[in-house]
Amino acid sequence: MTTSQANQTLAVSTAGLTKRFGGRTVVDGVDLAIPRGTVCGFVGPNGAGKTTTIRMLLGLIRPSAGTGTIMGGSLTSPQSYLAKVGALIESPAFYPQLSGRDNLKALAKLGRISSSKIDPALARTGMTARSKDKYRSYSLGMKQRLGIAASLLAGPELLILDEPTNGLDPAGIVEMRGLIRSFADEGITVLVSSHLISEIEQVCDHVVMIRAGKIVHQGPVASLREGQQVDIEAAPENDSDLERLTKVLETAGHTVAQSGSGLTVSVAGDVSGADLNRLAAENGITLRKLSEQSRSLEKAFFELTGTESADVPVGQEMGAIR
Amino acid sequence: MMTWAAFSSEWTKLKRMTLLLSTFGGLAVAASAFVILLFSQAPAHTVPGPHGGPGGLPSLDVLARPNGLIVGVDRAVMLLGIVAFGIAAAQTASEYSLGTLRQLLVRQPRRVRLLIGKMIAVLVFMVLATAFASVVAFGVANLMASSRGVSTSAWYTGTGFTDLLEALGRMELAVVGYSVLGLVVGQFLRSAVASVIVGFAWMIAVENIVGRILPSASKWFPGVSLSAIAANGNADANVSFDHGLAVAGVYVVVAIGAAAITFSRRDVTA
Ligand SMILES: Nc1ncnc2c1ncn2[C@@H]1O[C@H](COP(=O)(O)OP(=O)(O)OP(=O)(O)O)[C@@H](O)[C@H]1O
Ligand SMILES: [Mg+2]
Repeated sequence: MTTSQANQTLAVSTAGLTKRFGGRTVVDGVDLAIPRGTVCGFVGPNGAGKTTTIRMLLGLIRPSAGTGTIMGGSLTSPQSYLAKVGALIESPAFYPQLSGRDNLKALAKLGRISSSKIDPALARTGMTARSKDKYRSYSLGMKQRLGIAASLLAGPELLILDEPTNGLDPAGIVEMRGLIRSFADEGITVLVSSHLISEIEQVCDHVVMIRAGKIVHQGPVASLREGQQVDIEAAPENDSDLERLTKVLETAGHTVAQSGSGLTVSVAGDVSGADLNRLAAENGITLRKLSEQSRSLEKAFFELTGTESADVPVGQEMGAIR
Repeated sequence: MMTWAAFSSEWTKLKRMTLLLSTFGGLAVAASAFVILLFSQAPAHTVPGPHGGPGGLPSLDVLARPNGLIVGVDRAVMLLGIVAFGIAAAQTASEYSLGTLRQLLVRQPRRVRLLIGKMIAVLVFMVLATAFASVVAFGVANLMASSRGVSTSAWYTGTGFTDLLEALGRMELAVVGYSVLGLVVGQFLRSAVASVIVGFAWMIAVENIVGRILPSASKWFPGVSLSAIAANGNADANVSFDHGLAVAGVYVVVAIGAAAITFSRRDVTA
């Protein structure tokens, strides 16, 4: 595929995108390839470099190295593509003494956007009723909604939403997912970041996973699910057989971990529960429990990104120090 | 002109009630209070000596001259300068402290245009606030004059009016200078409070103290130069209007240039 073809199918593509703050490399050689028309999840633990990457895509931070193309425009001239982009960066930021509507008005004027776009943006995010109230009187959820409304003003082809579910209650999170889905249905490409894949996996058809500034996985969500192995939970009738069962399974090439009075078996190859049962019976062990469990995306995510936050050294997590 | 969009966006923010009232109302009240003080404290006749009345205040016969009000108003410039500086600094600094700058730059990625449009809006705002305060203070001066039996007829002559308008023009010029410096310092420090503290410290610690120790350095200071513009020459520091205008002009141009260059390069992580 030539570069120009790629630019037609990709909403965002970067090559070797890197940012160093002082001597620290915070984003390290990131090659993004986000197809147009997809909802792309951008997931990674705290401090992974999601916001820094997003700021580079929006021309707020100058990359230390690397290039990129966004909606056909070069990363080095943000003015060539930002008119087609809407963004919510980190947390919503508005003028507290202005009403929600006046905040949007100031942004619309700056972007030479017709003020007729303000009402639909407010309506879409359920902010119409409170739009005349001062921003400082809003709840966290309402601030987040106004942030989304602001990102819609320009009638974007690409929406970049950095942790849009921050501060939302469970109902709000469900609503946000519905909103994101509706953007996708209109053909808008959405890049949505989160530190929890479970919050966004239902709406994403593409996912980029980042850890410590590096991409650890990138591709369609379906492929992530496909590649997943199945775990089988098994427990012998007699606890005394536990050790023997472990040996038998390990000898057969499976990875076994003890969980409670049973075992969690990460099976090697195309092996089903029935195969395990047969194996146990051949060795004179009767199983009291046998269940297949498809691994959650969450688990796949943690395997790829690790459970610790990049910001916090091991042993200094919350609660670790007493 | 693309800067117009940045100007009108900024104007939407500036015309909010609280800022409008506090700036226009605050300046008008301060100017009126000053005029009231001027008339109520003025001695009936000029006392021989370098400064005339108590605290350097003009006497009632001086106030009755065609340029009577100007003599008084000149003394309020320092206060006006600090206010203009602080309000202007808050407009640039708050974009960082509120984090709103990141939103603005997505809608207008051409940073110098954003900066210039914003600066023009804030300058127009400050010029209008000063003009409004002057008109109110002039009204109050008429009331005070009649209560103290000062004849105002000389104010309403051709020379009286011309002098008054010229004085207003000079004051506006100085306000523009103070505001530009405020905008730039706010942009560098990203904190309104820090900017005002630095502004005060500069005026009091640096200009005042260094000016006393090394009087010849005074005429190169921005504050002295701006007050020389407003007062048509600063007799204390021996700075003429033209000299003040030239020095302040250099400060303003350098400040705008430095702000534009750093702003267009700086990473926006706020
Ligand atoms: N201006 C800056 N100067 C120095 N370091 C910075 C700066 N901004 C971010 N960092 C560092 O870069 C790393 C990545 O930060 P970033 O905000 O991009 O992470 P994130 O993935 O968005 O995390 P979170 O989920 O907590 O929002 C962090 O370790 C952070 O401390
Ligand atoms: Mg972040």
